[in-house]
Amino acid sequence: MLKKRLIPKFLLRDGRLVKYVRFFENERAAGNPVTTAKVYNDYGVDELIVLDIVPSAASRGRVVDIIERMSEEIFMPFTVGGGVKTLDDVNMLLRAGADKVSVNSEAVRRPEFLREAARTFGDQCMTVSIDYKKINPNHASVFIDGGREHVALDPIEWAQRCEDLHCGEVLLGSIDRDGTMSGYDFDMIHKAASVLSVPLIVSGGCGSLQHAIDALEAGASAVAISSMFLFTDHSPIKLRSHLLSRGLDVRASSSSRN
Amino acid sequence: MSGVAIVDYGINNVRSVKNAVEYCGFDPVVTHEADAIADASHIILPGVGAFGDAMSNIRARGINEMLERHVREKGKPFLAVCLGMQLLANTSEEHADDGVAHRGLGWFDADVARLMPNDPALKIPHMGWNMVAKERNHPILANIRDSNLAFYFVHSFAMRCRDAGDVVGFAQYGQPVTAIIARDNIVATQFHPEKSQDTGIELMSNFLRWNP
Repeated sequence: MLKKRLIPKFLLRDGRLVKYVRFFENERAAGNPVTTAKVYNDYGVDELIVLDIVPSAASRGRVVDIIERMSEEIFMPFTVGGGVKTLDDVNMLLRAGADKVSVNSEAVRRPEFLREAARTFGDQCMTVSIDYKKINPNHASVFIDGGREHVALDPIEWAQRCEDLHCGEVLLGSIDRDGTMSGYDFDMIHKAASVLSVPLIVSGGCGSLQHAIDALEAGASAVAISSMFLFTDHSPIKLRSHLLSRGLDVRASSSSRN
Repeated sequence: MSGVAIVDYGINNVRSVKNAVEYCGFDPVVTHEADAIADASHIILPGVGAFGDAMSNIRARGINEMLERHVREKGKPFLAVCLGMQLLANTSEEHADDGVAHRGLGWFDADVARLMPNDPALKIPHMGWNMVAKERNHPILANIRDSNLAFYFVHSFAMRCRDAGDVVGFAQYGQPVTAIIARDNIVATQFHPEKSQDTGIELMSNFLRWNP
């Protein structure tokens, strides 16, 4: 059976690794993406997600360069996204070394683009990224354009629609919890995992080893983690050995191979 | 004769295979030229894409004859990856026209069939990290512990060998999935060693130093 995955998520701004709280607050520089990726590679993570959060024509070139350099020394799957709007964008990132391309705003604005990209490059190449925020205590809604634009879509209904449009997996992120290290949105994970059949990667809020366990037990196929890996002493090695010791079906770690 | 040839048949992105070979300390050529394949000591057939298109391109460029000569007759060490492995079968039902299966190279008595896991919750493609259980040992698995045989898979079709002796290992995905096959100087993996982190690099490094 497929293993549950541990995935560091990199946010790039002008080619630099950055991290925020709730998408906009408290910007922190987090280092060079290529050298940081090499460290994570040594830690034996399962995959990397790299998202350009302020995409432009100039930043696309930097992202391509970064992915090319990562793929020279790091041999695991990469998911790359940010500002992907055309089949040419997808093709450029795949040629740079991405295995999967993440689409967010353009899938909302033009759902047929997702279907077209899946048909051209294969369902397994297309990840849909969905950011959502609570707009009142009982209701969450999708936001696009890096959390700036509210659209009237229910995140779970939108994820199901993306599945119908042949996305290969769903990256579901809570804006409210992003960077807070206060725990994933477990209710949302549980609901999403129970209706989706494509793999669900969850993002936003991981701050402890137990948060990752809870997300995987709630049905996530993979946990995306930024702040906890960047700013605490919980490394991927430590998380993996903890998950293994708690009986979760993850890969054996590099450290446990020695 | 000491180079590594990565066979380019025009439909696939071979960058990650090339990067992995370089990382292992070799200087590969990506080629479909007869001379370059003749000069190589080790040959790799990568593969992403559709079976029918791949075989058409291979025949159009005469690659099937080059491989027949250097792999089958001269016995050079040969590694085929993912679709590359499936091309070694007799036939594939992938996008078969009017039920007529595509013909492969036919080096293994096998066919390629769509994955049909016995659990409807299991999605196609089979994508992600999965364990391989060994049926037997093979030099490309040297120094890799059985508990570390996790590799990265992305595929919707899989090989079914009629001769059980050809199979080195299976993965499980609601059905046994042929993961590694081998005979003489030929070895092939359904998974992507070039995307399988240090275990995959170890496997490739073993292959590049293999002299059967």
